[in-house]
Amino acid sequence: MEQQSDQNQEKETMDMTKMFEMWLKSAMNFWGNMPRMQPDENMMFNFFPKQQKGSSYQAQQTWDRGTKIAGALAAMLSEPENLDAMFKATDTVPEFIMKISRQVWEGYFEAQKSWTERAVRIGKHEKAYSFDDLDQETFKTLQDIYEKEFQRYFYIPQIGLTRFYQERANKAVDKYNLFQSSLSEFIYMFYVPMEKSMPVMQEKIKDMVEKGEISDNYKEYYSMWIKILEGHYMKLLQSPEYSQVMAKTIQSLVEYRSARDEMMYDILKNLPIPTNRDMDELYKEFYELKKKVRELSRKMEEQK
Amino acid sequence: MSQTKIPVDLILNRLAESTEEVKEKVQKASEVLLGSLETDISQTPNEIVYQEDRVKVKYYKPEKIKHKIPLLVVYALINRETMLDLQPGRSVIQNFLESGMEVYMIDWGYPKRKDQFVTIDDHVNGYMDNIIDFIRKKHDLAKINLMGICMGGSFCVMYSALHPEKIKNLVTTVTPTNFDTDKGLLHIWMKNTLAEKMGPTYGNMPADIMNLGFLLLNPARLIIDKYVGFFENMDNKKFVENFVRMEKWIFDSPDVPAATFKQFIEDCYKKNLLIQSKLELNGKRVDLKKITMPLLNFYGKYDHLVPPEACNLLTKMVGSQDSEDICLDTGHIGIYVSSKCQKEFAPKISKWLKEREGDEITEAVAKIQPLKKNSFKKYQKKIDAKQ
Repeated sequence: MEQQSDQNQEKETMDMTKMFEMWLKSAMNFWGNMPRMQPDENMMFNFFPKQQKGSSYQAQQTWDRGTKIAGALAAMLSEPENLDAMFKATDTVPEFIMKISRQVWEGYFEAQKSWTERAVRIGKHEKAYSFDDLDQETFKTLQDIYEKEFQRYFYIPQIGLTRFYQERANKAVDKYNLFQSSLSEFIYMFYVPMEKSMPVMQEKIKDMVEKGEISDNYKEYYSMWIKILEGHYMKLLQSPEYSQVMAKTIQSLVEYRSARDEMMYDILKNLPIPTNRDMDELYKEFYELKKKVRELSRKMEEQK
Repeated sequence: MSQTKIPVDLILNRLAESTEEVKEKVQKASEVLLGSLETDISQTPNEIVYQEDRVKVKYYKPEKIKHKIPLLVVYALINRETMLDLQPGRSVIQNFLESGMEVYMIDWGYPKRKDQFVTIDDHVNGYMDNIIDFIRKKHDLAKINLMGICMGGSFCVMYSALHPEKIKNLVTTVTPTNFDTDKGLLHIWMKNTLAEKMGPTYGNMPADIMNLGFLLLNPARLIIDKYVGFFENMDNKKFVENFVRMEKWIFDSPDVPAATFKQFIEDCYKKNLLIQSKLELNGKRVDLKKITMPLLNFYGKYDHLVPPEACNLLTKMVGSQDSEDICLDTGHIGIYVSSKCQKEFAPKISKWLKEREGDEITEAVAKIQPLKKNSFKKYQKKIDAKQ
């Protein structure tokens, strides 16, 4: 039974192959004779002999060459062995596509897996939160996440002609991110006394109400609040935490500025304008020259 | 026990009255702000008698000269010397002129990027020395009086230690010399940050960042309360004029040359070398024991920028036998601008300097007798030793 179905399939393939061969031959005959059937423009509209130059002649030549190549290919394909090979090749195309697709998908799934693992690690950082210090810890956690998970991408070694420029640009972006993070924390620190002064103010008003010392003058409440706020700020500004945050912000600002300036020098190098770096070199020379001249003038005065 | 009554009705009445008051205040304020206001500062007539690079020297001449020795005033590099001549009635310069004293004042100018390499040594042994020599030559004097304000006072201390032969009397006001204290926020911050790196990064230390830093010393008062006070008194022309003058001065800040700023933070704030007589300028040690001339040292009890602890060690560390500390009940700026201190501060200095003018042998005399030039120096040393 199986043998019979195989034989039937083979017979079907052979019939299809013969049909394809006949179609191919007839198509090539048709297209190959088309240019010969077209009337000669020069003969129809012009009594001068046919010109062997010009765009229409070149187009004719190109068409002739094309049809000859197609004819040769068709003749080759009409050979049974060649036709078999072609059909086998077309059978392998889907397999080829499937293999490529599988590799692409596998690569994507692996990348997705690493992203998920990273997200899990980010989730683990959240366990370090203490609810009371939720806001302050947030900045530290975000910075930690950035430095451990994302920062490394900016320091992937660059390759190619523009590698140094790319490295400096990446560094500038990284330093900017770090500076923004430090600045946010610094600014947040100045919000904290505002937040903390309100409950204190509310307690004081509550005490005043209980003692019957409520005033109808809003200025008194303002003075009270500003004093409480001032006290909170003094406490904050003297704290080592504030000094640390301020130090970190200044450090990140300095690093960002330096990295940004390096990147700007690369851009400005292509423009016909002097940069700060160029001017600083000149200023240094001027300064040293002036100092030398003053020193020598002073020595001359002393010798007089 | 009866419940405490919150006088809601009174509060609401009060609010309604306040709204009326506010409306009238706003109307009056707009007349004041849109009218002519006298807000110019530093109006006392003066003459620019010396200039070197960005540095100028202003000369203020009194109507009648009663002091033999002129005074050179050295302001800080932060903010401007115009604070000493803020307005009529609040002008230290005018008080000096009224006492008959000739006053020279250094205007440090506005440092540009090209000034970033100028060091403390360039300011002290460069500009200041040249200016003092100029004044000495102009008045034919061996020595002049020197007065410093804040960082300018620190420069004066350094100069007097390196060139005691040129200074007759030294006055320091709100001058930080001892930086090893945690009483002032600046002292805490400068020790714990790398602020000195900002100068080279920006070229010079930017004035805007310094101004922001000063505002952050007391944000509640300097950013909120100050302007609430302004809005409450906007309808008062005198108040607005005084306020605007002060605003003009306080935000008129030059950058600080990067090299100077870096050395000041590192050698003074962090290492505290000045009070220990270990500070070096261009290889020369600033030995406070060489300050042998009379010293008058002012500072403010409520000064949050330069606390008393940063100022009151100086008189104990100098070699002078005639030194005095005066602590005024005021803050950093109040010494110069508060009406109460106007009566104490400048008159005290004038009187103190007058008492110590002494007999001055001039260079002119020494020139007449060139062979005895060395004897002139010996005689001068004797006078100094007596003082």
